[in-house]
This record gives sequence, C-alpha cells and structure tokens, in this order.
Amino acid sequence: MKNNLSLNSISALDFSWILLMIITAANALVAETAEPSLAITALICGSIAYKGRRIMDYFMELNHANSTIQFFMRSYFHVFPALIFLTELFAEELAALTTL
Amino acid sequence: MSITATEFHLNGSGSVTTEPETVNKIPGNRAVWVGIFAEMTEFALFFLVYFIAKAHYPEQFEQGPLELNTLAGMLNTFALITSSFFVAKALAAIRIDDPEQSIKWLWRAVFCGGIYLVIKVWEYHWNVGQGIETNTNEFYTMYYYMTFNHLLHVGWASGSLLWAIHQLKVGRYTKENHIGFTAIACYWHMVDLAWVIIFPLLYVLR
Repeated sequence: MKNNLSLNSISALDFSWILLMIITAANALVAETAEPSLAITALICGSIAYKGRRIMDYFMELNHANSTIQFFMRSYFHVFPALIFLTELFAEELAALTTL
Repeated sequence: MSITATEFHLNGSGSVTTEPETVNKIPGNRAVWVGIFAEMTEFALFFLVYFIAKAHYPEQFEQGPLELNTLAGMLNTFALITSSFFVAKALAAIRIDDPEQSIKWLWRAVFCGGIYLVIKVWEYHWNVGQGIETNTNEFYTMYYYMTFNHLLHVGWASGSLLWAIHQLKVGRYTKENHIGFTAIACYWHMVDLAWVIIFPLLYVLR
C-alpha cells in the first residue's frame, strides 16, 4: 500500500514533466503558426490553467496541503486565464473603462 | 534505497502514511507563503497592467509577439519546468534519506536556472540587434519590465537553491527535518508558475 502510494506519486511527477514539456512545445507551435482568434485564445488560456494546476499539484504538492493555500493558488490559475480571455473578448470596453 | 520504495513524507515534518495529521499542513513554513503570495500579487499587478495596455494598443500587442524570439521563450520555459521537476526530485530524495542524490538533483536545477539566465541575456542582445528596445513601444516596455523582473526572481531563487545545497552538505536538512528545503522548493515552483503565465502572454497570444 505504502509502496503503491509512493510509486504513484513519483510516476505522476515524471508524467507531469513530460506533459508540461509537450504543452509548452504545442504553445510555441501555436505562436508560430496560428492566426489570432478567440478559439486560440481559449485554448491557450486552458493550457495555462492546466499547466498551473499540474505544477501546483505534483511539483508543489499542494494537492495534499493546507486548504486555504490550495484555494488561493488554484484560484489564481482560474482567475488569470479567465481574465486573459475576457480581455480579448471585451477589449474595447476595457479600453473605454480605463481611459482617463 | 529506491525513491519508489519508501513511505511518502510530506512537508518535511512527517510521513503521510504514518502521520496522517501532517496532511493539510502548510508546505514549508508560513513565512515563505507570505513571500509567495506577495510575489504572486506583484505579478498579478503586472498582468493587470498588461491587460489594460493591450486594450489601449491592440496593434502593438498583435505585432509585438511576432518580432520576439519564440524559440528562446520556449527553451526558457523548458529550462524552468525541468528545473522545477529536478527540485521536486531533490525533495523526494531527501525524504528517503539520500542527501547525496538530493544534492545532485539540486545542482541540475541550478544548472537549468543558469541556462535560463544565459538564454534570457542572449535574447536581450538578439532583441537589440532587431531594434527591439525598452522604449520601442508599449508592448516591448511591458515585455522588458515583466521578463527582467522575472529574471531577477530566477536569479535570487537560484541563490536559494545554492543555499539548500550547502545546508544539505553540512547535514542541516535531513529526512526528519527539511522544512526549510520544502520552503525553498515552493518558492522555486512559484517562479516557474509566474513564467507559465508570462510565456503565453508575451510570446504566444496576439
């Protein structure tokens, strides 16, 4: 039981590293080839949220940690990808709102 | 002893399997989390300024990423993610009472931090060759402000990894007591997390 727990934890760590590298390469490919669109922005925002969660859960080990820290850290990676998307969607409104 | 053949210690203060009360604790210590949240707030302010600037200068923010060196950005992301992975491995090694292995993983992490710094300095030189400077336009001002600030964080976080190596060498971090090491690891991962947002903002999204 103990060994299984450890084995799973370590495997998840290695798997997370490979996954994060693949997502990063995919993001770079998008940067070089894709034309800007809301769908691409949504995809990139999704990848930011997923990468953040993966690093927090498996590198930082927050998936076992204090719930307050978990909440704030996870929220950060929900709020900012959402804000990136909303900024794209409501760019003109944001510009009007922030014009002095 | 293999890393995969041991009980799993968490937070540097006990074993999940034998001391379940350690679950739900603060990784590392409170002080480092005050620092981490302060840094995350600082980066949050940068991101908010980026959103506002992008709304006001959409053409600059659409063209800007096209002129940057995406390969350098991608390699830097690889370097940071890999260094975070190495730090997690180093922590796993000290949990099984293998400080020598832990030190090796940490040196690899420091090496990746060094690679990041070298690539970033090279990229700045490359940018200047392309006519991209801090005052070229608002996008590049954001780019330099955000990436240079992040570079500083990588610099001093690398210093903290060197400190952890020293502490491991003199036997101050052990299987039973490595809270300080866990705190340093959390800070390093935070630096990685900030870059996870910065990379797409500056190099990918247009």
